[in-house]
Amino acid sequence: MGHRDVATVGLGGPVGSGKTAMVKRLVPRLDDAGYNVGVIANDIMTQADAEQLQASFEGRLPEDLVAGVETGACPHTGIREDPSMNLAKIDEFTERHPDLDVVLVESGGDNLAATFNPELADYFMFVISVAEGDDIPAKRGPGVTQADLLVINKKDLAPYVDADLDLMERDSERVRGEEPTVFTNCKTEEGIDEVVDLIERSVLFA
Amino acid sequence: MTESAAFLTALRLSDSMLPVGTYTASYGIEQYLNEGRIETTGDLADLVAGYLRGIVGPAETVALGCAHRSAAAGDLDGVLAADERLAASTLPAEFRESSTKAGGKLLDLLADADGPFEGAAGDELVEEYAAALDAGETAGHYPVILGLLCQRAGIGRREAALVGAYSTVTGLLGAAQRLGRFGHTEIQSALSGLFPTIEAVCDRYHDADLEAMCSFAPLADVMGMRHERADRRLFMS
Ligand SMILES: Nc1nc2c(ncn2[C@@H]2O[C@H](COP(=O)(O)OP(=O)(O)O)[C@@H](O)[C@H]2O)c(=O)[nH]1
Ligand SMILES: [Mg+2]
Repeated sequence: MGHRDVATVGLGGPVGSGKTAMVKRLVPRLDDAGYNVGVIANDIMTQADAEQLQASFEGRLPEDLVAGVETGACPHTGIREDPSMNLAKIDEFTERHPDLDVVLVESGGDNLAATFNPELADYFMFVISVAEGDDIPAKRGPGVTQADLLVINKKDLAPYVDADLDLMERDSERVRGEEPTVFTNCKTEEGIDEVVDLIERSVLFA
Repeated sequence: MTESAAFLTALRLSDSMLPVGTYTASYGIEQYLNEGRIETTGDLADLVAGYLRGIVGPAETVALGCAHRSAAAGDLDGVLAADERLAASTLPAEFRESSTKAGGKLLDLLADADGPFEGAAGDELVEEYAAALDAGETAGHYPVILGLLCQRAGIGRREAALVGAYSTVTGLLGAAQRLGRFGHTEIQSALSGLFPTIEAVCDRYHDADLEAMCSFAPLADVMGMRHERADRRLFMS
C-alpha cells in the first residue's frame, strides 16, 4: 500500500483564489459519500495555519490525515518537478490508513504556470477566482489549459470587480477544448456538487 | 580518467534537478535566519564552512566513504553500520528526517526496476539494502545511499565525497538564498570561496574509518532543534 494505490486530487492556483475554501467544501461531501479522505496542504507556514487546518476537519477526519508539507519556499517545485515529499506524505497516510480512498493535495499559492505532476495527482483542478481579473483564461497559462478541471471561484464577486462571466466562460471553452470549467461560490456552495461529481466520475469510480 | 558515464552520473547526482526533495531541507539555516543570526553573505559563507568542518566532513563524508568502501567489498553489514553510526551522530530529529526522506527517495529511484538507474536495479547489494530499509532495520541516510550508488556507478570514493559535499553546500546556500536577501553573484562567490574547504574536508575524511566519525556543530544542532517549534517555517528542517 502506497501512493500508487490511492486516488489523488491536486488543487493548484494563485494565492487567495479559494483552494482551501474548496477543500473545506469537498471534504464533507466526499466523507458523506463514504470515501476515506486525507488532506495535504503545501501552504502551511505558521503554527497557527496548521492548527486552523486541523481544527477545520475536526470530527470529520482523523488528525493524522490532515498534514502540511513544507516546500522550501518552492511551491511549484513541490507539485511539479519534484513532488517526492508530497508522495512521501501520502505513503505515511496509507501506511497508517490502508483503507484510504482519496487524498486532496492543495498546492502553495502560485502563479498561472504551475501544473501538477501526473505522478502526484491523478486529477488536477486549477482554481482561479473572478477577482483576479476576467482576462485570466485568455492568457492561456499552463494551469488553465492543462488542468483536468478549471474552477472559476468567487462568482458572487463578479459585479464588484467588473468581471464579465460570459467572457470568462467563452475564453475557457476556447482555450480548454473539451475539458470542463465550473463556476463556483464557496460561500453559498453553488457549483460544488458539480465539482464533486466530476472528481467522483474521473478518479473514484474509475 | 573517470569514465564519461560515471562523470555524467556524478553531475546528475549533484544537480538540483534530481527529484529527491532536498530543496525542502535547510538543516537549520532557516532557524539561523529566523533568529537574525546571518546578516551578510560573508556570515553565510562562514557558517557553511562551519557545517563542512563540523558535520559534512567528519560525519557525512565518513559515512559516505564507508558505504562506498563496503559496497565495493560487497559488505552489506558495513553499509548498515555506516547508516547506524550516522543516525547516532545526528542529533536534531529534523536533520535525521530530511536525510532519511531524501535517502529513501534516492533509493526508490535506484532500486525501481523500471526506474531511471537501470544498472542498479537487480543489484544484489542494493536489493538487500532496500529490503533492510523496508523492514525498518536501517535508517537510509542520504550520504550512505549516495555512497552506495556512486560506487555502483563507477564513481571513485573521493569524487563521491565531492559530490556529496558540493550538493550539501549548494543545498544550504540555496535555502538561504530563498529565505533571505542575498545577491545571486554574491552567492556564487561564496560558493567558489568554499571550494578549498570542500576539497580539504573530502581529502581528509573520504577514507576515514567508521570509528572516526563524529559531529560537532552545537549551535547548528540547537538551531535544528529550535526549528521544530518555530512559529513560521517554510522548510522541513
Ligand atoms: N466572496 C467569496 N469569497 C471566497 C470564496 N471562496 C473563498 N473566499 C474567500 O477568499 C479568501 C481566500 O480563500 P482561500 O481558500 O484561503 O484561498 P487559497 O489561498 O486559494 O487557499 C478567504 O477569505 C475566503 O473566505 C467565494 O466563493 N466567494
Ligand atoms: Mg490555501
